[in-house]
Amino acid sequence: MSQLKERLERLFGTLVRLSTGQRILVSLAAVIFAIGVGMVVILGAGYFATCDSPVLFILGAEFCYNPIEVSLVLFDGSFGGNFEIARTLRWTTLLLFTALSFAIPYKAGLFNIGAQGQFVLGSLGAAVGVIWAAAFVPGGAVGRLVLVPTGLLVGAAVGGLYGFLPGYLKVRFEMNEVVTTLLFNFIATAVAFVLVDRYFVDESIQGTQTEAIPDAAALNPQFFANSADFSLPVFVFALGIVAAAYWLLTRTTVGYELRAMGAQPKAAIFGGVNERFTTLFSMTTAGAIAGIGGALFVLMVLGRWQTGPPPLGFDGIAVSILAGNNPLGLLPSGLLFGALQSGGQAIQFQLGIPSELVGVLRGLIILLVATPELFRMMGQRLDRRGVIDIETGGSD
Amino acid sequence: MGDVLRTAGKWIGGFVALIVTLMVARAIAPTGSVTEQILDALLDTGYASAVLRVAVPVAFAAMGGIFAEKTGVINIGIEGFLILSALSSIVAVVGLTDAGVSPQMALWIGFLAGIVVSVGAAFVFAVFVVRFQSNQVIAGLAIWLISLGLAPFVSLVLFESVNSPSVGTFGTWAIPVLSEIPVLGSVLFDASPMVYLMLVSAPLCWYVLRSTQLGRYIRACGDNPRALDTAGVSVSRTRYKGILISGVLCGIGGAGFTLGQLGRFVGAGETSIGGRGFLGIVAYLFGNYNPIASVGGALLFASFDALQFRLQQIAALDVPQQLFQVLPFIVVILVLMFVGRTRIPAALGEHYDEEE
Repeated sequence: MSQLKERLERLFGTLVRLSTGQRILVSLAAVIFAIGVGMVVILGAGYFATCDSPVLFILGAEFCYNPIEVSLVLFDGSFGGNFEIARTLRWTTLLLFTALSFAIPYKAGLFNIGAQGQFVLGSLGAAVGVIWAAAFVPGGAVGRLVLVPTGLLVGAAVGGLYGFLPGYLKVRFEMNEVVTTLLFNFIATAVAFVLVDRYFVDESIQGTQTEAIPDAAALNPQFFANSADFSLPVFVFALGIVAAAYWLLTRTTVGYELRAMGAQPKAAIFGGVNERFTTLFSMTTAGAIAGIGGALFVLMVLGRWQTGPPPLGFDGIAVSILAGNNPLGLLPSGLLFGALQSGGQAIQFQLGIPSELVGVLRGLIILLVATPELFRMMGQRLDRRGVIDIETGGSD
Repeated sequence: MGDVLRTAGKWIGGFVALIVTLMVARAIAPTGSVTEQILDALLDTGYASAVLRVAVPVAFAAMGGIFAEKTGVINIGIEGFLILSALSSIVAVVGLTDAGVSPQMALWIGFLAGIVVSVGAAFVFAVFVVRFQSNQVIAGLAIWLISLGLAPFVSLVLFESVNSPSVGTFGTWAIPVLSEIPVLGSVLFDASPMVYLMLVSAPLCWYVLRSTQLGRYIRACGDNPRALDTAGVSVSRTRYKGILISGVLCGIGGAGFTLGQLGRFVGAGETSIGGRGFLGIVAYLFGNYNPIASVGGALLFASFDALQFRLQQIAALDVPQQLFQVLPFIVVILVLMFVGRTRIPAALGEHYDEEE
């Protein structure tokens, strides 16, 4: 009997490993494929763009951008030096939060497309919260001990509430969370704009933005170049949150129920899992985590709230999907997108190539990762031709 | 047919009752008050025309969404199709005008170019979700995100700005004799060709879905693909058709909005489409997958969108513009809360493996 159990366990072990391995392969293939398509887009754009001195000539046609040079600048702009690494890690840190905000509800079978809105309102809440609280606390270390947690808590509360709402609409009115969270993003941007414009605007400068947060609340750069707005302890904090989410999902009853709802809703409900609870819990947690990300964006990067937030909420979806929605995969995946973001700024600055290109890559990666079947079919075709052997997974 | 007429009667009756109520309120309202100004703005024929015009992209997005979703494919990518169609129509018009084509001609060719690009994107989407079995929600989302990056990118490369230069619009076509009818004539028969197209498309889509063979196949495909397969009709091919029709309608929506109303492409933020495709999704949920009712939903949302410009002109009201722009989204959520559940195609979102 124990022998059988052992054998079964070993079999399960291989199966699980295999599927993880395959998933990593799919993710890698998707990234490579997407970057390949990106290069073609750059080449095409270089053909149509107008410039004084073309850099590339192929078959008599002139191109303004050289894809190889672009990749080099992209890489250099994300890992090429202290400042670049810090900038990459800054984006990675923030992306970890918005990615978790997609990953946790996904495990419960829910699509939270609303991380952007939760992020925006969370960041506004944090900014207003610390500016307001600063009047009551002294500056210096004591102030920091009070203000930073205040900012994070307010961000989490506002984001959490904004995640709770679509969850509530789903359990109470059976409204599809994809639609509600999508719409909530647009509402959040407008509400934040009007709130700041009407009530919290800093009149001393032009533009729609709040006052600067007090110095005691700012998470100043540490261990890295000053101008990169990146603080290493915050990165460690982000890793801690990721680890906590992993623990929550895999080691607790709530996490188990959540995953059961995602994998087999009917069986889970039959087994006594409360659907209302898992929906509300996962959406609220997701919103709170995105809100903390927003708070950190204000405390660490901007130092105030201003309009035109970067689309970190949508990037987070890509990060999570590329990681197979597994918290452990978020770090490499977040690092990749952090690097793309950072390198995107470099190619815009140095080569004049619109950084919107990064947005295209992001979409392509999502599309391809959502399509493992494509790679399986390609693999089968190669298998039939005898190029690779799927059974052993090796290529020779 | 009887039930259809009864439903239509109810809607028209309700609408007339609403107008009469507003007119009575207008008569009672004290002269010079803010209430009177608001009611004046609402009862103006210019407002009615604006509602029709503003509804165009949402209505076409909704009709496009219905065709995909009735075959069992969730199409979140609608917004992306609208964006791509909007940009490519402008690119074509600018290119053709530079090449010396007459403005009106350029507009119509640009309109077609927008539709062609949207159909192309829909085809790619169809290949991914039908042949390669992508997760439909994620693939649709990806289409939106790709468009959101690609459109401003292309605009920057071609026009050196995320916003395109302005081109003309179709203007309005007055239909002889009919446009002379008081009140109704100026609203319904002196409108943009896109408005006519919308008013014609709604019953046409309804008829195609309800009474043609293709419509029956499409409905069966979403509700019971196995039955359709057993009857010897290809589920994949029906889904391809549904998604491509969706692409055509979204193309009309995007290009029609851009060339019929705005006259340019704005690539900043969420682009000039700004969620109109998503509103379309909500419009067909509101209309319970009935094209005519969904266009009604689009008109309802448009009535809020158009109201914003009117109310801004009333100085006594301090209307926050940004909030008004998302008012339709808020109304939609409230309405869906109370309208209740919609009847969703049974096999929605599921991949179907055809028997060999």
